Amino acid sequence: MNSLIILLIGVLGIAVGYGFYARTIDKNIIQPDPKKATPATMYMDGVDFTPASRNVLYGYQFKSIAALGPIVGPIVAVRWGWLPALLWIVFGTFFIGWVQDYSSIILGVREEGKTFGALSYKLISPRARTILLIFIYLYLLLIMGAFGKIVGYDLMTKPAVPLGVLFVMGVGLLAGQMTYRWKIDILITSVVTVILAFVGIWLGTLTGVQNFFTNINELFGFSFGDVTWARMLWSIVVLVICYFGAVLPIWRWAQPINYVSFWIVFLGIIGGTVGLLLWRPTIDAAAFPALTTWDGKLGELGALGPMWPLLFVTIACGAISGWHSLVSSSGTARQIEKETDALPVGGGAMFLEMFVAVLSLLAATVGVGAARYVELNAGAFVFAEGLSKFLTYVGIPESFGLPYGAVFLTLMALTIMYLVVRFMRVASAEFLGDAVPALKNVHIGTIVALALSLLLIWTGYWSHVWILFGSSNQLMAALALLLASLWLMTKAKNYTWTFVPFVFMFLTTMAALARTSYVVLRDAITKGAELPIDKVIGNYVAGVIGVVLFLAALYLAVDAVRAIQTRLAEGRATAGTD
Amino acid sequence: MIKRIEAMIEKSVRALREVIYGMTVYDWVHELEKARNEQERLFTLIIFGDLLGVPILPPYHMLRLVPYLVPSFESWRRSMLRERDFTDLIDQEIG
Repeated sequence: MNSLIILLIGVLGIAVGYGFYARTIDKNIIQPDPKKATPATMYMDGVDFTPASRNVLYGYQFKSIAALGPIVGPIVAVRWGWLPALLWIVFGTFFIGWVQDYSSIILGVREEGKTFGALSYKLISPRARTILLIFIYLYLLLIMGAFGKIVGYDLMTKPAVPLGVLFVMGVGLLAGQMTYRWKIDILITSVVTVILAFVGIWLGTLTGVQNFFTNINELFGFSFGDVTWARMLWSIVVLVICYFGAVLPIWRWAQPINYVSFWIVFLGIIGGTVGLLLWRPTIDAAAFPALTTWDGKLGELGALGPMWPLLFVTIACGAISGWHSLVSSSGTARQIEKETDALPVGGGAMFLEMFVAVLSLLAATVGVGAARYVELNAGAFVFAEGLSKFLTYVGIPESFGLPYGAVFLTLMALTIMYLVVRFMRVASAEFLGDAVPALKNVHIGTIVALALSLLLIWTGYWSHVWILFGSSNQLMAALALLLASLWLMTKAKNYTWTFVPFVFMFLTTMAALARTSYVVLRDAITKGAELPIDKVIGNYVAGVIGVVLFLAALYLAVDAVRAIQTRLAEGRATAGTD
Repeated sequence: MIKRIEAMIEKSVRALREVIYGMTVYDWVHELEKARNEQERLFTLIIFGDLLGVPILPPYHMLRLVPYLVPSFESWRRSMLRERDFTDLIDQEIG
């Protein structure tokens, strides 16, 4: 099939999904009123509540939700064949993805800017808030494990990549200095820093620089299991970057670096899309089948596991993501100026993310091809190669495009990772701060979060960690859908459009969690003697996280069933009175 | 007709600029506003410390500053009294 047809399917999904389905629900069920005051306008205090226009918020929402999920997920998922991956990206976004993002915003807007903790307390049960806290902490830990392994093991160990990444970090700090201290116009700052960042990426491609990093990577020959010296070094460097991002004021580190990184990523997406449109390749159906096997076996790569539930959690943010609900309820909902803005901001940004996922799927299938895909072990670097191939059609040579693609991916991961560590620090201080006052200390809370992340990065199997991350991510989304359903029940509105997706996502993610936890714990127990010690530890860690997440979700489900029964009984009573 | 097309193009360009602003600089501006308003909150708290049983400034100076703070008093009070949980703190942390 020609790649243009696949892109067209994506565009059609956006047109029908947003233009018809989403608008119908927005108009007939939520019935937003542009004249009604939103929390942002009612409680404007410049700190928690600040109104912003819909276009600005659309950009903010997209930037906040786009990370590695929509890119790496489809790359792994094409092992089941590109067709099921494509169908889940399109239909997942169509029926579930935008519903979750949009309803999270609406919930915040209509409930006076309450966030998930307060809403779960109110709509489910008092203990739901505590369970949610544990759940979010483990979910964040899995993000660190999954992303940290991609960056520290795969991308940064390529000798052409580290200089570019470190250069962008330095240039980001320069951007902050130019803006805050030297008061230079943002346009000049942008032009100077983005050009410098590209120069840094280009410097990384020079043979001398690559030799230098190759020498560093080969400095010591020791390894523990699959943790070689190079992997050990770069995963620690990644976490040191995260440490600074977590402890320094956000304007000093995270924001200026994210700003420069944004341009690197944005220009890459634009260039890649244009290159793809100019190239218009066709998927080689013989090499890259539309459908492989039920257990996801492609070529010499081992089987991943059953398509249901695993495909639906492997493609994480490309179809639906719990991260979006956190951003939507805690951030965006408090900045919505008019109720009518919720759909273009929440729904619109999700549909754009779907487009990124489709682009990533094409990078793997047509950009790289089956043989090279298998050679690269279906890793994140597949995207870098695919993107560089697309960029050759806009005149960018592969010698630059390849490290650029890898830097692009690394930055996408890093910009989220240090925010995740900040979250983890806050969550641990909130949950255990009274019992262990040391956790309230910024540095200690951060170091604990980083140490746990490092344990997962060094010991876990990436495929298991990714599936656990995907499961917890989608389960978080299911919880957001549950809150939306409960809220719709209390308002006596039609809740089918959130409740059916909730049931599907809940069953799918619980099945994925149960299966993966079972597999890793079984391997740790029965194959303990055959596996290297680090993998045994990794399997135990991953298994325990999976079991705790499963139990936490089960507890929430029990409380939710009670809450649903109460809401339905209240509804019947109200109907009887009427 | 041409005027309508021109207006449409102008509107689209403005929207695109706003979207890019939202993706790039908005975060910075928002963070600076937050920092400024947090300072103002603190200042108001110092002035109205008496209300919380903490007389920080002598009443004479306090009374002279009160007229400047009255317009923002309501939003300050609401903001100070609002219950916050960890998911609120997440927003504070991501900026």
